[in-house]
Amino acid sequence: MILPLLLVFLGLTIYPFVYMIYMSFHRYNLASWEKPEFIGFGNYREIWRDRTARSSVDFTVLLLVTAVPLEIILGIGIAFLLRDFFGERVFRSLLLTPMMVPAVVAGIAWKMLYNFEFGPVNYFFSLLGIAKVSWLGTQLFSRLGVVLIDVWQWTPFVFLILYAGLQSIPRDVVEAALVDGASGFSALRYIELPLLRPLVWVVLIIRLIDVLKIFDIVYMVTFGGPGSATHSYSFYIYKVGVSFGWDVGYASALSMLLLVAVTVLTNILIRTVRLKETLEL
Amino acid sequence: MRGIGVIKGIIVGIVLFFFLFPVYWLVTTAFKRSEDWFSWPPSFLFSPTLGNFLGLEGGFFGSTTTAIATITPYLRNSVVVALLVACLSTVIAALSSYAISRFKIGGMGFVSWIISIRMLPPIASALPLYIIFSRLHLINTWWALILSHLVFTTPFSTWILLTFFNEVPRELDEASFVDGANTWQTFLWVVLPLSAPGLAAVATLAFIQSWGEFLMALVLTTGKEAQTLPIYLGRFITGWRIAWGPLAAAGIVTMLPVILFSLLMQRYLIRGLTFGAVKG
Repeated sequence: MILPLLLVFLGLTIYPFVYMIYMSFHRYNLASWEKPEFIGFGNYREIWRDRTARSSVDFTVLLLVTAVPLEIILGIGIAFLLRDFFGERVFRSLLLTPMMVPAVVAGIAWKMLYNFEFGPVNYFFSLLGIAKVSWLGTQLFSRLGVVLIDVWQWTPFVFLILYAGLQSIPRDVVEAALVDGASGFSALRYIELPLLRPLVWVVLIIRLIDVLKIFDIVYMVTFGGPGSATHSYSFYIYKVGVSFGWDVGYASALSMLLLVAVTVLTNILIRTVRLKETLEL
Repeated sequence: MRGIGVIKGIIVGIVLFFFLFPVYWLVTTAFKRSEDWFSWPPSFLFSPTLGNFLGLEGGFFGSTTTAIATITPYLRNSVVVALLVACLSTVIAALSSYAISRFKIGGMGFVSWIISIRMLPPIASALPLYIIFSRLHLINTWWALILSHLVFTTPFSTWILLTFFNEVPRELDEASFVDGANTWQTFLWVVLPLSAPGLAAVATLAFIQSWGEFLMALVLTTGKEAQTLPIYLGRFITGWRIAWGPLAAAGIVTMLPVILFSLLMQRYLIRGLTFGAVKG
């Protein structure tokens, strides 16, 4: 019964993976007719000197340290806000929308919102007396713009998981604390937040990993620009390997580094938080 | 206490505004005439038109063909690919998670490995798959997309179904064996029906993932024989003056099935999305 799954895994993940390792040690360009040529660690050495690669790492790290914490904080905040709120069921359904909108469609919406001349974001700014911002024209704002979209799309996911977790906390524990004279705030601080912590870790891991692969939004909204300001790492691999020159050898080396980063990161996180116990595996 | 309620209400309002406004803007733009796409201040009040859907409002779709005619092949590809991905990954996942749940095949290591596949960056598998599929002459076919989408839908579905199957009491399996049923009969007639919500959730999630998937489709397809709606939309974004109305209309067509499905299946989806980690 397990056979179909094994076939998918062997044929579609392990074999390509091995093949990618092979390519990463070769000079291999699909646009030229030359056969792959073995160059050892040549591709990896090139990454070291590649300034665009470095800036794409910078931008990806920026996303990790800004978007993900923001999503977690907002997600917790909204979860507590909506609990016991009149009409929370309706609001919860509505908040599901951003994460359900296909990324490409979200990209179209945000590209309209960020438009310099007639975009609603600049319009709301002008109502507040703030000058128009060139969202897609400057390095700082285009980077912030992508962070904002990620926050928009994935805070609902964080909220959803934490909200479900919040509701699974037994009410009597909290009520007992309140009867014993704890204030609402300290019940929250010392009972509910600690009980939520394992879930916060789960969400954090999922979000960190997903941010490392961010691609669609970048492609649709900024196409990596201006210059290479919003090249996410995945977008850079795509550019090297597909859209600008089919240099699959070099792209494979870049992908290998990404895989190593993802693997190391997840293993560290899974060890530190004992994810298996949390997920009752 | 009343004051706190008001403040809470205001904050909830702001939160909802932030999360819903982009969708609102997309939907309204799809019903705006061309002069309203580029107006300042942005037009909040406008006389709606269906022109963007019918291709009457000029733009990239040209004047001779209608928007509906140009979008049809991509819509067909999306439907075929997403439906097949949903069916195949649910079948594969159901078989394997039943095996893992009942016969402990592979044990813990195997389950962690399945989960780790979800963590693979898609760009990393897209390039080798491109080369493999081009040798097999699968580039620009439905199968290239279906197979590549299975890479990320099956592990996810397997993981979720595992929690559903684990909740079906083993005594039921045993009772069915005592009555003379074999493993397959027990699986098909006892365990599967009891996990119907799980199967529905898993199929829906796979459909949604495949429907919106962009990267694999971008790399593995080249023409309208196999390209899906997201690629169709992506093509219009490069021009410097974009026909927002028709684009937004096409965006709605792309978004609609996902939104409908997620509303219908909300209860099960939430459980699926939270990986069964939270008993909701």
